Amino acid sequence: MKPVVDRLKQDYEGTVEFRLYDVDRSQEGQELMRQFGAQYVPTFVFLNSDGTEVDRVVGESSEEDMRAILDSLK
Amino acid sequence: MDSKKLLIWGGIAVVALAALFLIMRPAGGGAGAENVSASRAAELAAAGVRVIDVRTPGEFETSHVPGAENVPMDALSTEAAGWDPAEPLLIYCATGARSAQAVQYLEAQGFETIYHLDAGLVAWEGELEKGTQVAPMPPDAVPAGTPVMYEFFTDW
Repeated sequence: MKPVVDRLKQDYEGTVEFRLYDVDRSQEGQELMRQFGAQYVPTFVFLNSDGTEVDRVVGESSEEDMRAILDSLK
Repeated sequence: MDSKKLLIWGGIAVVALAALFLIMRPAGGGAGAENVSASRAAELAAAGVRVIDVRTPGEFETSHVPGAENVPMDALSTEAAGWDPAEPLLIYCATGARSAQAVQYLEAQGFETIYHLDAGLVAWEGELEKGTQVAPMPPDAVPAGTPVMYEFFTDW
């Protein structure tokens, strides 16, 4: 997924903030993951600017689907 | 007469060889490892097969198969060195990718009976032991004016 995420980061820079956590290395990431109730890696959680969760993707996903979710964020 | 006998004996030999092949053929498609469905995995766990969860401690704490032991991938070689290779194991991770590597490793180490939940925990249909500190929305996670995409990943 890394190449896909890298492309998305580039294309959505300035409109969406990307917070990426390697949960093997990041204590903060593990803590956030637990607080989100996320059970699997990779898990993607999409939030609107008001904090509402719009979507959650668990496992591999297509770039097209990811872009559709990112485009829907407000 | 002789050719008839020859035909009969030849036929018997072919049938015997076919039967022998069917009997000797390995079950499950692999030496030592067998991919199992979620329902079969649940049966095995209920029957007392040792269950190994190779996900990260964070994932494990959130939820896991009841009775499973957490042995993250980076600890597997150290931990498995002390295990009995004759003891059957049921291995799983989230989606089957990491556990496939674990199974490969354990096979190479001579473990004789490995059951692999190759569809991962996402396919699990039974109850899970859940963590106790799950909040709906962590306060630190609220965006500051722009939408946010979180990704939680590992290098495995």
